[in-house]
Amino acid sequence: MKQSPGDKKLEAMLHSSNLVADGFMGDDKRSTPEIIQSDLRTLSLAQRSTEQLAQRMTAITNQAIAGLGTWVQIDSLRQARVDEAKGTLVCPWPHAGRFAKRVTTLKLTASGETIRWSDLNIHLIAAHSFFEGKGSHFRLEPDQLVAFIF
Amino acid sequence: MITDVLIPVLLISLIGAFLAGILVIAKAVLANYGPCEIAINDEKRVTVQGGDDLLSSLRTEKIFIPSACGGRGTCGLCKLKVLEGAGDLLPTEEPYLDDDERSTQVRLSCQVKVRKALKIEIPTELFAIQECLCRCVEIVDLTHDIKQFRLELQEPATLDYLPGQYIQLLTPAYKKSSEEVYRAYSISSDPAEKNIIELIIRLVPEGICTTYCFDYLKVSDEVHINGPYGDFRLSQTDRPIVFIAGGSGMAPIKCMLHHLHNTNSTRKAVYYFGANQVSELFLLDTMRQFESTLPDFRFVPVVATPEADADWQGELGLVTQAVQRDLKDAADCEAYLCGSPGMIDAAAKVLKELGVHEDSIFFDKFA
Amino acid sequence: MNIPSEMSQAFVICVSAIFTQNILLTYFLGLCPFLGVSREVKTAYGLGLAVIFVMTTTSVLNWLAYRYVLAPLELHFFRFILFIIIIAAFVQFTEMVIERYSPLLYQKLGVFLPLITVNCAILGASLFMVIREYSLIETVGYGLGSGIGWFLAIMAMAGIRQKLAHERIPRGLQGPGIALIIAGLMALAFMGFTGVLQGQ
Repeated sequence: MKQSPGDKKLEAMLHSSNLVADGFMGDDKRSTPEIIQSDLRTLSLAQRSTEQLAQRMTAITNQAIAGLGTWVQIDSLRQARVDEAKGTLVCPWPHAGRFAKRVTTLKLTASGETIRWSDLNIHLIAAHSFFEGKGSHFRLEPDQLVAFIF
Repeated sequence: MITDVLIPVLLISLIGAFLAGILVIAKAVLANYGPCEIAINDEKRVTVQGGDDLLSSLRTEKIFIPSACGGRGTCGLCKLKVLEGAGDLLPTEEPYLDDDERSTQVRLSCQVKVRKALKIEIPTELFAIQECLCRCVEIVDLTHDIKQFRLELQEPATLDYLPGQYIQLLTPAYKKSSEEVYRAYSISSDPAEKNIIELIIRLVPEGICTTYCFDYLKVSDEVHINGPYGDFRLSQTDRPIVFIAGGSGMAPIKCMLHHLHNTNSTRKAVYYFGANQVSELFLLDTMRQFESTLPDFRFVPVVATPEADADWQGELGLVTQAVQRDLKDAADCEAYLCGSPGMIDAAAKVLKELGVHEDSIFFDKFA
Repeated sequence: MNIPSEMSQAFVICVSAIFTQNILLTYFLGLCPFLGVSREVKTAYGLGLAVIFVMTTTSVLNWLAYRYVLAPLELHFFRFILFIIIIAAFVQFTEMVIERYSPLLYQKLGVFLPLITVNCAILGASLFMVIREYSLIETVGYGLGSGIGWFLAIMAMAGIRQKLAHERIPRGLQGPGIALIIAGLMALAFMGFTGVLQGQ
């Protein structure tokens, strides 16, 4: 499908490792709109919206920030921890948006399983419905994420 | 028969070549903007070859405008005022400029093309920024995920900086990153060692630069940095100091402590260093040294959840809790904080509750 | 006033190319940029002018190439390749001129400027000119008229789409869907011009 110059620039940005190591696409060969559509379908099967996800993730992150790097009890089932690094992450989409390099790790106390997301992930999900390509370091599987946070 | 094929082929080739020739000439004439003069802050004048964007053109003249996206027009950090010669505002710039900026002729320098003489205005601090070639002379493991890197300046041989400032380290293209990328790290070295730049770096999971530094950078490798940047620095007063920083946030604090020692300062100082576990504490010897060489300095490590076998006798809990318990006469103090926005906000809140004035709290936020 | 019959013939051809034989709405050539760049009147205006310029000039250049190069050598079949080469070179040239003198328009047009090369309306105009055996003056009239007709169509579409931007359109029809419906309605409307000009 012919892409406008804006879309081509976006795809190049998502593949480049200029913003994050190994880019946002991992080894996914699909185009960005395909990835987004497929993930949105999975999400609707789990009966959640991107707004709900982003809200819950932000709430967990805010609770965990107060721990200053230690594990914080979120509720009876979960604990979370926030690690931060110096600098900002830029959203690959062409709009002003800089995000702290803040990674939230969420642990289910019963099983010990963890999932992690960055502030940029929350923005990509909320504003662009983008969960990153398969194989990317910070790819979030929508159904897995729902199971972890709700 | 053959000629029936040859003639049209020759004809098309000739016509194609002729048209291509015309286009080459046209391009040389139309795309050649010739030398263009850029007047900076009404004092400095540089001449660059026209046709490139302003950001790259300034860089060739050794004027480094900050940028996080390598000139693609997505980070908005390269803003500066272009008073004359920039042409109309481009659609790629619009999302990054608010009304105030548009009315004062702020533009994204990576999107503005240099076609004729320009008049621009940039903050004067940017003139002090230099590009330096260094050689890595020592790498020390401080904890399981923090290393100390000592870089010896080759060219130029020294770099003037204020304690508290940071440099940008160039990560070359390597396995994890196909492009060159710059990342910021605070300088932790002793300013008296004029030819050394020391950095304290913590490994960030999937980080471009930290992975390079930890897994690929070796002693005697060349390293490119530029700087110094930042306005986090000690005040000129005599007021007592409260330092709060954990992990790699110690870097600018260490540099400031060296400076206090070098200038024979008599300022009272206390440093609250927060860590999750005892194994995450580092450079304790250096801090103990400062306690003996500085007239009135206390180092207070605070561990949140010490390991069972560590036998920790020092302060327990979050660093903010320790400050609350321990700090006396807060109203006189100046606070210098370095760390994540979360830590800084929490610490600032506690300090204000203890009576420290808002204007006396200085910070180097990670983001 | 004694207008040479060729000039009046060229004038008739020009007017018919704008209305009754509109290269876009009657022959459906040049739909790609028509749908792609018709969201804003300003951009459509810039592109439309570029198309008028390219269409008129390339029609003339192609006429000259056909008359003085291909015809004497009896290489009529070569017109497809030669016309495209000439159009491509000329559009490249136009692109350089636009980039130099209006970087704003250059950025707004983006990929659609070099896409004028493969705008089948441009090639179509040159090929029609050959089939209908127009003279040089008639070619000028035809190229100009086709260009103006295309310009008119894209301006009308841009105006309608700009107004529609604030309307509630069913999700399935948003974007290209509604644009094609509008184009169809416009084509029907232009059919109303048939018979306005005698014999055209």
